[in-house]
Amino acid sequence: MSTEPGRKAAGNGFLTDTWVNLKRWMLKTVRNPFVMTFSLINPVMFLVLFTQVFGGVAGGAISDSVGGSASYVTYLVPAIAIQVALIGATSSGVGLVNDIESGMFEKALVSPMHRGAIFLGKSLSEVLRIVLQVCIILVVGFPMFYLDAGGSLGDYVATGVLGAIGIVCVGVLFAIWFTALSNIVALVTRDQESTMIGVNIVQFPLLFLSSAFLPLDSLPGWVQVVAAFNPVTYGVDAARALMFGRDVMTLIDVTAFGGMWNTLVPAVAVLGALDIALGALAVYFIARSTSAEAR
Amino acid sequence: MCTVSAIDADHLELTYADGTRAVTDVSLSIDEGEFFGFLGSNGAGKTTTIKMLVTLLRPTSGSVRVNGHDVADEPRAVRKSIGYMAQETSIDEELTARENIRYACEAYGVPRDERADRIDQLLDLVDLAGVADKRAKGFSGGMQKRLDVATALVHEPPVVFLDEPTTGLDPKARNRLWDYFERINERGTTVFLTTQYLEEADHLCERISVITDGEIEVSGSPAELKSLVGGDVLEVEFDEPSDDDLERAREVAIDSALVDDPDAVERTEAGLFVTSTEARRHGTDLLVALREAGLTIVGFNVRSPTLDDVFLTVTGEEYEGGDDRADEADVAAATGEAR
Repeated sequence: MSTEPGRKAAGNGFLTDTWVNLKRWMLKTVRNPFVMTFSLINPVMFLVLFTQVFGGVAGGAISDSVGGSASYVTYLVPAIAIQVALIGATSSGVGLVNDIESGMFEKALVSPMHRGAIFLGKSLSEVLRIVLQVCIILVVGFPMFYLDAGGSLGDYVATGVLGAIGIVCVGVLFAIWFTALSNIVALVTRDQESTMIGVNIVQFPLLFLSSAFLPLDSLPGWVQVVAAFNPVTYGVDAARALMFGRDVMTLIDVTAFGGMWNTLVPAVAVLGALDIALGALAVYFIARSTSAEAR
Repeated sequence: MCTVSAIDADHLELTYADGTRAVTDVSLSIDEGEFFGFLGSNGAGKTTTIKMLVTLLRPTSGSVRVNGHDVADEPRAVRKSIGYMAQETSIDEELTARENIRYACEAYGVPRDERADRIDQLLDLVDLAGVADKRAKGFSGGMQKRLDVATALVHEPPVVFLDEPTTGLDPKARNRLWDYFERINERGTTVFLTTQYLEEADHLCERISVITDGEIEVSGSPAELKSLVGGDVLEVEFDEPSDDDLERAREVAIDSALVDDPDAVERTEAGLFVTSTEARRHGTDLLVALREAGLTIVGFNVRSPTLDDVFLTVTGEEYEGGDDRADEADVAAATGEAR
């Protein structure tokens, strides 16, 4: 060693600490292309099977809901985008438990890195992954739409490129509350399998008891009640509004903003509030687990 | 002799949420540049103490200053000035050896232009240069441990906490690390080491504290501690002795001129340990007396006391680490280096 001993580490600013952690988690994502691929298999399978099997039957219900000659593909793509975000968020807690089990969590805590940056860096890598995966779903959806309805790109996403970007943003906005939830479960259980099972078990009820696969008014009354309290409904409605460029929300009858904004504004408000609430709860749990209290 | 304290712990106490009192009263004052050893059997409170010193656990009561910073008031200043290696190997298996060390360099803010050299030196030090760009997942337990050591040293901190750093390493790797620990200590780095290898503490540490049941039992240099044993140790081994044979031998030894205190005679599995300042001069008298009492001696040895003897004297229990060591060695031999 060439340098003098007994000096202190320089430490970094908050942004550098965030970047250091973001880099580590991106590297881990790249190292595991399987995780990236396998977490897309389920959603793509849903997209293909649902459109092929239910496309014909669903047609009537969805044209009542979104009007005209809507293809079930365009109806379903926003839902699948939300599903991808949901699955992506699930893996966040699993990653945290892995870090706790491997000792990397403690290693980060005993370093001079800012506590918040450790989590922010990790979360940003998950956001990037979700962005990429939602983009993949949007791209995969188009040839299916083309084969089904034969329309152009403009018929596929009515609001164009900006709308597509909007759908990605909705996916991220939706992912935050579930990311927070999966991290809370991780910190409480501190066990990989429990976290995985815990978050996976709610995935299907969340998807099916919502407006994801069929318009709400074609579903039984109790499902409609549950769906009203299900964040997936708001995520899917927001993404779907961008897909069709029109108001698709049936839960809350807003007319103040005009067109698709009547869906977007309330849905984004609901998701935003949920993100803040669960985010705050996650911060509380993280602070508790990193504050060096005797556990 | 330097008088500045690197670590000052004042009446530390820690009770876990479930009511377990892991540490009841630990006070330490470790000078800058000192090589300090913390000994104790499993569950004695070593790791709990070290976690309080490195800001990972907040003491239930008591205070700690490390490098002049209070761990409760200025945790970040403490963290900047220490290196810590946990007992459980802590590395990211998905990353390569080089990437693991680089992450640590970045976490501690090692300047960019020094990083590449530092990483190479550390890889070399722990003998992982040849597998630097391989993922740590494929490493054996020993290799992972070595990588973990390297990541704790990236910023060359003034105080290094090593919680059983050489457990599970083969003798060659252990000796290399000992050399390195000694080298960084010689250049002024304070080293706080817990270990289950008493010979390791004996070899490296200037001062040792023995902890049992959350309290420091005794402190001193290895030589001072050994003098507590009260002399040299005469080991005698008999030919398949019965329980009665051993009892008879013990009585002979207690009656001999060698010992005043019956506690100086310990029965072992197949013989006796007799501790006496006269063990070298008059040990043969006892051997003759034992033979005359009808016992068949198949082995004997006079040796200086070891820290194992200290442990036995101080705590009244066999040192637990000894068994672990045998197990570890067997496991290491069975699994080999490359998994």
